Amino acid sequence: MEPFELICPAGNPAALRAAVDAGADAVYLGFRDETNARNFPGLNFSREDVAEAVAYAHARKVQVFVAINTYPQAGNLAPWQRAVDDAARLKADAVILADVGLLDYAARRHPDLRLHLSVQASAANVEAIRLYRDAFGVRRVVLPRVLTVPDIARLNAEIDIETEVFVFGGLCPMAEGRCSLSSYATGLSPNKQGVCSPASHVRYEPRGGDLASRLGGFTINIFGEGEQAGYPTLCKGRFVSHDTPAYLFEEPTSLNAMELLPELKAAGVRALKIEGRQRGKAYIATVVAAYRRALDAFAKGQAVPKLDLDAMVEGGTQTTGAYKRAWR
Amino acid sequence: MKPRLTLGPVLFNWPADRWRDFYFRMADEAPVDTVVVGEIVCFKRVPFFADAMDDVLTRLTSAGKEVWLASPILVGSERERAAMRDLVRCDILPMEANDMGALALLEGRRHAVGPFINSYNEATLAWLAARGAMSVSLPAELPAASVAVLAKAAADLGLDVEVQVFGRAPLAISARCYHARAHGLHKDGCQFVCGNDADGMPVRTLDGQPFLTVNGTQTMSHGYLGLAAEMGRLMEMGVGRFRLSPQNMDMVAVATAFRAVLDGDRDGAEVAAELSRTAPAPLENGFFHNMAGASYGAELGTDA
Amino acid sequence: MRDPGMQTDEPTDDDRARAVEVNLTRAGLRLARQLGDGLGGLLFDRLFRILADRHPRAFAALVELPDARLLIDPVDAPAALLLRVGPQLALRVSERDAQADATVRGPCGRLLDLLEGRIDGDALFFRRELTIEGDTALILALRNTLDGEEMDLFADVATAAGPLRHALPVARRNAGRVLRLLDTAHRLAPPPLRWGLAALERRVAGPRREA
Repeated sequence: MEPFELICPAGNPAALRAAVDAGADAVYLGFRDETNARNFPGLNFSREDVAEAVAYAHARKVQVFVAINTYPQAGNLAPWQRAVDDAARLKADAVILADVGLLDYAARRHPDLRLHLSVQASAANVEAIRLYRDAFGVRRVVLPRVLTVPDIARLNAEIDIETEVFVFGGLCPMAEGRCSLSSYATGLSPNKQGVCSPASHVRYEPRGGDLASRLGGFTINIFGEGEQAGYPTLCKGRFVSHDTPAYLFEEPTSLNAMELLPELKAAGVRALKIEGRQRGKAYIATVVAAYRRALDAFAKGQAVPKLDLDAMVEGGTQTTGAYKRAWR
Repeated sequence: MKPRLTLGPVLFNWPADRWRDFYFRMADEAPVDTVVVGEIVCFKRVPFFADAMDDVLTRLTSAGKEVWLASPILVGSERERAAMRDLVRCDILPMEANDMGALALLEGRRHAVGPFINSYNEATLAWLAARGAMSVSLPAELPAASVAVLAKAAADLGLDVEVQVFGRAPLAISARCYHARAHGLHKDGCQFVCGNDADGMPVRTLDGQPFLTVNGTQTMSHGYLGLAAEMGRLMEMGVGRFRLSPQNMDMVAVATAFRAVLDGDRDGAEVAAELSRTAPAPLENGFFHNMAGASYGAELGTDA
Repeated sequence: MRDPGMQTDEPTDDDRARAVEVNLTRAGLRLARQLGDGLGGLLFDRLFRILADRHPRAFAALVELPDARLLIDPVDAPAALLLRVGPQLALRVSERDAQADATVRGPCGRLLDLLEGRIDGDALFFRRELTIEGDTALILALRNTLDGEEMDLFADVATAAGPLRHALPVARRNAGRVLRLLDTAHRLAPPPLRWGLAALERRVAGPRREA
């Protein structure tokens, strides 16, 4: 049986080297602009950085995927098309796209370029995935985080392209690419600008011993003294319905599906993805190394080592998310 | 072509009687051209409306309305997928596809593309047109500049673009039911608590500020999208369809007011002012004006 | 690279070296404050030039940011630092109540870890070991820019400054390292500061020699 491919994030060249050195099979990254869904200040790669990244990774038999997974702006397609052209020119092993207009462009202009469908396209069923395969020759789909493991198994039984699933990191409780919560509060959205709950609209406000986190004029959470804090990502906030304050959408928690490796393998999943291009290289080195050890052990049929990644995750807690039906 | 009014599907879980009566009244009294019908938020609700569906479709069709059937927003599980296939197989009425899976199954048939398929740019519009789309409803978060480009591209491609001008903005969809979660329930044993909130469940911040609305697996804006004052600009851009999303208020009055603006009989700004008095939640137009969607700028009707 | 998932209570050589660096940083801040903006400023300008030579990519990015002031407040040190980013990039010692567009507060050791990308800033913040006020995007931009470098503040300064250029990266984290660092600090400092460093050296390095 083929081993899982481990797909790891990099927000900058140092993080890429950390991911490669820690045992990634492929690293995904974005250009330094609104063409990718982690368009954060100080993050991402210039064209020269990508050239160096590809050289570093390829010399170590590691692949580089370029995420161009926002939705091109009406009347301004050029930056996205250029990103695809440059990824092809710089010998990226695949581009990760979401928009059908851009997929169409990439398929026509670069027939040899390997296309992956981004999670931002939210292709959650057989018919949708076949459409992307037939229309654009998409070779792999990153599945949205709305499916259970049995859903994934049934899906893989009916499609003939590879699937990649998230196993670790930040967790969107909403279907990705179909969420305007961020632009509702700030005007800036994952689909348009490649940002969610952008730092430019975040304020932390001390209130006595409490800490309030605010996003674009809305209070997203208030943390008591000593309570674990979280970034004010809108869907991880505490809100009030029926007079009861609660984490209405999701607790500040992170996905960790390490315990599901056997099930994901049986479900026919090809590649496992770690989230976190916006996280530091320390996070990347730690998490990638932990998953490398786990996957190596798993491939040899050994017990998967118990690894403590609590310090790396938001809220200090972990979940298997939508992969288990109880999450719904 | 004369711009048209579309009544979007009822997104809330209304009792079946009320749901039927609503559509009967719309058929008889609301000056809308097209009515989109179907439970698109949660497949668990579908059986409730099944009995009334035939009557509603018949009544709307005989009243001269163009009727489209809407496909669900999120299709992941096997049951959701089977329901979607059954729906698309019924080819008596045109379909509005809200998911790429439904779009795939509509190959070769004239169809509408709903607001839950991401249509952000002219390249996407061209691809959809080539597949037989006759109308594309734009995502609520698009600003005026994008709408203008897309309306122009649509004219060249021979299809309509549609903009939602009234009703809560749909913001997100999930596999998880937040209505059930707020009641300490699981989606599988949800007791249909979403039926308690005819206009969705209000969500406030910890500071008590109204913020969002939960409608089962869907999250919506607190305020109602209200682009009455912007209708003139939208028509100048060449937008061909205007969508009203049903809320728990007198939708005949809403449709009548928007019809009057379309016909040039009433001033859009005056209708906006009236709606901000009669609607149960404040109006919002921030998305269109390239600001936070939650904001409303009445005098911003002239920005780029 | 430290692995927070694997941490034990036993202090490692790394931890011991870091403890000395923390003391050095604190003492440096006290000294710089005593020296005032003139001489202290000179010291920081030199430090900055060295780092800029070693990390041109990061410094170019910091210069490209809009003009803004970031207060970096090591709560267990005698003074804070004010970093001005943008075209007039500069670092100065500062009072901890200085006006700034954004503030990062935390223990000196944690801030050094963060500067060198040895610990994940998000993780620190989640655990409330860091507090953040003001322009969050500015802090994020700085964090992301620094994280993109393989920065080792003390080694960088040392390497740039003298004959230890080759020895230090290899000997990094060795027991004798602190003394070399101080040696470097001597070379770096303008004369009046050297006198202060001599005193510092006696204090910091003393117990180390005995060990």
